[in-house]
Amino acid sequence: MTDPILFKDIDEPGLRTLEVYRRRGGYDMVSKALAMTRDELVHDLEISGLRGRGGAGFSMGKKASFLPKTTMDKYLVCNADESEPGTFKDRELMTKLPHMLIEGIIIAAHAAGANRAFIYIRGEYQEVADILDAALVEARDAGYLDNLPLVVHRGAGAYICGEETGLLDSLEGKRGNPRLKPPFPANQGLYQGPTLINNVETLMTVPHIVRMGGESYAKIGAANSTGTKVVSVSGNVQRPGNYEIELGIASRELIYGLAGGPPEGREILFWFPGGSSSPVLTKDELDVPYDFDSMAKAGSMIGSGAIIIVDDSNSVVDVALKLASFYRHESCGKCTPCREGTNWTVKVLERIQSGLGTPMDLDIMASVQDRIIGNCLCVLGDSMAMPIGSMIEKFRPQFEEYMESRREVAA
Amino acid sequence: MPRPFHRDITFSIDGREVTAPENTILVDAAKYGDVEIPVFCYEPKLGQPVGACRMCLVEIEGIPKLQTACSTPVKDGMVVHTLTDRVKEAQNAVVEFLLINHPLDCPVCDKGGECPLQDISFGWGAGVSRFIEPKRHFEKPLSLSPLVAIDRERCILCYRCVRFSQEVAEDYQLVFEERGAHTYVSTFNGHPYVAPFSGNIIELCPVGALTSKPYRFRARPWDIEQAGSVCTLCPSQCNVSFTVRDDRVLRVLARDHKEVDDGWLCDKGRFAYQAIHADERITRPMIRDGGELREVSWDRALDEAAAALGRARGKVAAVVGGQTSNEEGHLLSHLVRDVLGSSDVESRVAGAPSAELRVALDHPDLQATVPDIEFAHAVLVIDAEPVDDMPIIDLRIRKGVRRNHVKLGVATSRPSSLDPNASAVARFAPGAGEAFLAALNAALGGGGVLSELAEAAGTTEQAVRDVAALFDATDLVILYGERLLSGPRADQTARALLNVAGKSFERGRDGAGLMEIPAGTNSRGLREVGCVSDRSPAEIAEAAAGGDLTALYLLHTDPLVDLAGEWEPALDRATTVIAHSMFLTPGIAEHATIVFPAESWAEREGTVTHPDGRLQRLRAGIGRPGDVRACWQTLAELSKRLGADISILTGSMATAQMAEHVPIYAGITHDELGGQGVRWQERDAASAYPGDVDFGPFGLEAPPVRPRPSGSELQFATFRSIWGGPEVAASPALQFLRSRPRVLLSPADAQRLELFDGLAATVAPDGREAVEATVHVRDAVPEGSAFLESDVAGVVGTAGIRKAEAAVVV
Amino acid sequence: MSIEVRRYEHGSRVPGWDEAADLSKDPAQVPDPATTPVPEDLRAEIEAHMANYPDHRSAAIPALAAVQRRYGWCTPEGIEQAACVMRLTPAYLVAVATFYDMLETRPVARHTIYVCTNISCSLRGADELLAAFKDAGDEQEFNIRGFECLGACDIAPMASVNGVYVGPVTRDEVPEVIAALRQGREVLPDKHLVKRPVADPNAQT
Ligand SMILES: Cc1cc2nc3c(=O)[nH]c(=O)nc-3n(C[C@H](O)[C@H](O)[C@H](O)COP(=O)(O)O)c2cc1C
Ligand code: SF4
Ligand code: SF4
Ligand code: FES
Ligand code: FES
Repeated sequence: MTDPILFKDIDEPGLRTLEVYRRRGGYDMVSKALAMTRDELVHDLEISGLRGRGGAGFSMGKKASFLPKTTMDKYLVCNADESEPGTFKDRELMTKLPHMLIEGIIIAAHAAGANRAFIYIRGEYQEVADILDAALVEARDAGYLDNLPLVVHRGAGAYICGEETGLLDSLEGKRGNPRLKPPFPANQGLYQGPTLINNVETLMTVPHIVRMGGESYAKIGAANSTGTKVVSVSGNVQRPGNYEIELGIASRELIYGLAGGPPEGREILFWFPGGSSSPVLTKDELDVPYDFDSMAKAGSMIGSGAIIIVDDSNSVVDVALKLASFYRHESCGKCTPCREGTNWTVKVLERIQSGLGTPMDLDIMASVQDRIIGNCLCVLGDSMAMPIGSMIEKFRPQFEEYMESRREVAA
Repeated sequence: MPRPFHRDITFSIDGREVTAPENTILVDAAKYGDVEIPVFCYEPKLGQPVGACRMCLVEIEGIPKLQTACSTPVKDGMVVHTLTDRVKEAQNAVVEFLLINHPLDCPVCDKGGECPLQDISFGWGAGVSRFIEPKRHFEKPLSLSPLVAIDRERCILCYRCVRFSQEVAEDYQLVFEERGAHTYVSTFNGHPYVAPFSGNIIELCPVGALTSKPYRFRARPWDIEQAGSVCTLCPSQCNVSFTVRDDRVLRVLARDHKEVDDGWLCDKGRFAYQAIHADERITRPMIRDGGELREVSWDRALDEAAAALGRARGKVAAVVGGQTSNEEGHLLSHLVRDVLGSSDVESRVAGAPSAELRVALDHPDLQATVPDIEFAHAVLVIDAEPVDDMPIIDLRIRKGVRRNHVKLGVATSRPSSLDPNASAVARFAPGAGEAFLAALNAALGGGGVLSELAEAAGTTEQAVRDVAALFDATDLVILYGERLLSGPRADQTARALLNVAGKSFERGRDGAGLMEIPAGTNSRGLREVGCVSDRSPAEIAEAAAGGDLTALYLLHTDPLVDLAGEWEPALDRATTVIAHSMFLTPGIAEHATIVFPAESWAEREGTVTHPDGRLQRLRAGIGRPGDVRACWQTLAELSKRLGADISILTGSMATAQMAEHVPIYAGITHDELGGQGVRWQERDAASAYPGDVDFGPFGLEAPPVRPRPSGSELQFATFRSIWGGPEVAASPALQFLRSRPRVLLSPADAQRLELFDGLAATVAPDGREAVEATVHVRDAVPEGSAFLESDVAGVVGTAGIRKAEAAVVV
Repeated sequence: MSIEVRRYEHGSRVPGWDEAADLSKDPAQVPDPATTPVPEDLRAEIEAHMANYPDHRSAAIPALAAVQRRYGWCTPEGIEQAACVMRLTPAYLVAVATFYDMLETRPVARHTIYVCTNISCSLRGADELLAAFKDAGDEQEFNIRGFECLGACDIAPMASVNGVYVGPVTRDEVPEVIAALRQGREVLPDKHLVKRPVADPNAQT
């Protein structure tokens, strides 16, 4: 295990202030990065292998390289919407290291050629936004933002505004409906201008890559999954919280070693490896290494890096209903399969819960999930369909047992 | 913004090689190969695709996920499949999803039989549903406005209606509220969706969620017929299709014409058809007898009219309304001039520029077309409010600004609804159009002292300079209101306009030019067929009042309602007043001695000319009610009874007769016009247009000094809103919109005069009768000016405004 | 005065599906400054937000939030005022307001308590916690809502009380939270999330 990169001494008193942050070498990387050409910087980011920490896991350097080199207004947007159930890493990072985010934004803006930047933070994080605003005042006064107007934009409660194009519409003052892609934000994003959108953690890693050099950073972690990652572990574990791990460690070590595993006397029923949108894995899949490719091979994903543990005191149906209800509530309603499919799934699960379910409902529900996947405008629809689909597939007997018992109760 | 050009490419769809213009959206490109891709949300008229409904998913080789055909531009060599199992599964899925919450109440749905959702469910759905949960139920139908009913159960959230409101009409009153499956179409806090173009959402809705209140349940699709024609209620001349059942017009739909209306209608054109079947309509000839108009036979009426006109030989004048067709205008002119030896046949509402200047202004080389507005680099609107004067042009201007980044300038007296879209706005004092043009001419280097001229125009130098900056554009289109060039100084103003035009574009350049926004629907055509006289209407009125004219012929107009000037004494004095009219409007009821019933616009045959020179054909969609006869027939008959050698038996013969006498229209036939019309400038006969033309630049006189209003007086002008006119007044569904006297005041003046928004005020224009009007205080009204909504447009001067006697302060 | 608080599953507002337009009203166009008085401080705040963006419409959420702070919820009059300052139709703003969970378009009580009831919290008793809050707090005084994951699953079950994150909250502590709010005291000062150290043992050297 390497030393933590982002979490190093994160609870040092006063780290939120410019003074302490700078004492620790904060903002040193700004001048180094600005001395590099845009191409050099992008190249460094590309060879670092840094993949987006927001969910999709796309190469950060490559995305920055997509922005055209024209002189028009370009934007950098930091995605601090963090609404994926189970995810709370950006919150901890921003609360404790607001200046590191600003430093990352300044450097990434240079990489993207952006001349204006925004942090889109979910409205619920009022305390965090206040901390960012305070840090912004300090950074502005210190002159770091002279060439980069940076505004903290508070959302108002909508998961879909984490989706990058929904975020852009929301930031433009509209309803946060996702847009058709193409055009991709790198070509036509905010106010129609080229826009680089990255997650908080992705951006906060950037100064460290500049410090270490892309090549050294790439040595950390696993193949194709370089570096460290902050993982939020929650649900039925003894020590819920954020852990910075080197990508590629065994999931079991993370869940049991760091987070303490389920409460005494309980066993894991299933777990979400990457937020509520990831297909669930069972207790037999705990040895899958925690990195992008291994998780994909296991049929799931590390997504936003949020592990939710569900122990055997719970019923899969209840969790499925919570999950489906969440996605129904958060579906923006723009496209048909997601809007109607989430609604339909909730209604079937509610009926099952009330004791009126039949095994045929499972087939219909599974088919509804299939009919959502791949047919939606953005991936929110799939984000419900994939985990629900995986639950039906992996826990069919439990579903049937549940229906049977509820039927008896209802009768 | 040059018009886009696309080369042809070849792609494959369902195994067929198809050639289509490159970058055509796949849904449309597929049609070149006779492949239909089902869509709900795709509607190119609404702008960029939204990709919401997911109905149009297709497989494109090389792309792993299914793609929306509504957002994919076709490329050379693309291989597309729409019949594979994957695509079918997706189509079945979308139909199944859409129907889970859609009430299956087609038997009692007004859309049934002409419903895209029905058709697509039938064509691309699986035919069964596995959804057994209860469907949502809500109260229905509800009012969205007095004209539109909404059934929210049926809405499939396709975005069409809200996109129309937000991105076409830009009234932004209709929105989605809430999110996800709870999303619904609504307005702010229960306000109705009332806007000039609101009715278009009914036609856009692909289900029975939005229905027309006046049409609901009046007919089923299998008992109606569609009859294409042209709406003559304003100069936009939108192409329409009348929905006819049992010889009654029950609905008006758009008949898309890209070069005219872009597929939209205003609510007047869409709903005023009710006036056609109003009880108040005149359906039999009438003669004044003992002070009362009494119905008589045609023979009697024609005899009396012929006799009266015969007696008045040499002392006849005709006033021609804007809705008159070219044929009617020509035949009336023939009657008055050739048969009755008189000279006054006037279609213009006020004094107008001389014939030579008119020839220059209307010259094909200076003529802009409707699509030019959309593709120009800049558009300048002078002294016109398109939404009131020519509504569809308002949408076209907005489209150009929004989609093609056309730069817009607005130079008017009254604040315009286009101001927010404009990059330059200038306000000049009511009636100071000439001074404004002179100032603009000076700013463009045409001579004169800018500061003085701006001052004379009641505007600022900066505002003039801002407008002048638009003239850097290569393609500039200038839209000017007819009222700019009316009034006593029409010639001077026209010269100033020609000077400015000379600075703005090369003569003969495609994509740039002038376009008039006329006062009447067919003003241009009527001018071109010769309904112009040396005397202005006001002068005609004076001559009649003085007894120099003894017979007045009123064709589709009531001077008391439509024209400024002193008409009461004229109508009083004239021995004979013959009117063709649909309704007994005040002047006709009071003064006409002989009344012929006029056809409605759905019953007429003939042609009209669009302000950009497009001749369009009117076709009768329904039969004439009662004893109504064609107007051309009556005019021809009168000529004949008065001894002319004329024999016209059909509408096309009337057109032929007209074309024979109007050189630039020579040879035009109904067949040539077809369903789309043709611009005369593009025909060979255009060479008959006068060749020897003086385009300027002219030396300009100093514009006159405007009288300064004093005390409680303000600079004043009247305007006619889109909701003016007898057709709106006679349509029950439009009563709530009917034009009412309103006076617009600036906050400062309102405060000074102790008037508040909503209060009644007495408006006393200089030299005219006072009227009572409701005060509307508007921030954008310049201090010192007041504007009164009235059917009589173009009254300019000063007016005293004070609290009405009975006004109660609230 | 009784405040009508209507709720539709999962704390969202009752959609206005059943509401017809009132035909006696005028259409809601961009409010005219001459007839729409706007409090000076509200105008100043909204204009300051507008200045933050290349396109002033970006200030829609901040403007609505300002309206909500001032009037307790996004009142029709408040929305009209914001629309007047921003030169938008009120419908534009209401469309935005109803999209977001935190903007209230119906009257609500003064204190806001969001109880997270998403997966991680519900695995640790969130549903029971929400029920306890609903039992203890009066709707006239407290806007108590079940909420989606608030991004603090490490302190599950948790709540955001007037914007301050506290957790883990036990059912026994509910009366104290209510009492503290009533008396204007700090809510569960030992359980504020911002004061919590990171869980990762490797972070401290
Ligand atoms: C429904 C949905 C919600 C999302 N929520 C978030 C989020 O809260 N935070 C985030 O960083 N990315 C989120 N994403 C991913 C973003 O779309 C985008 O991929 C990301 O911001 C890119 O940043 P990265 O490359 O640094 O990860 C979400 C995606 C979807 C489809
Ligand atoms: S998938 Fe869901 S959230 Fe995404 S666009 Fe469609 S309806 Fe909106
Ligand atoms: S009302 Fe009609 S047009 Fe509007 S969103 Fe619904 S289905 Fe589409
Ligand atoms: S038509 Fe393509 S998504 Fe609706
Ligand atoms: S589930 Fe409650 S805060 Fe995340």
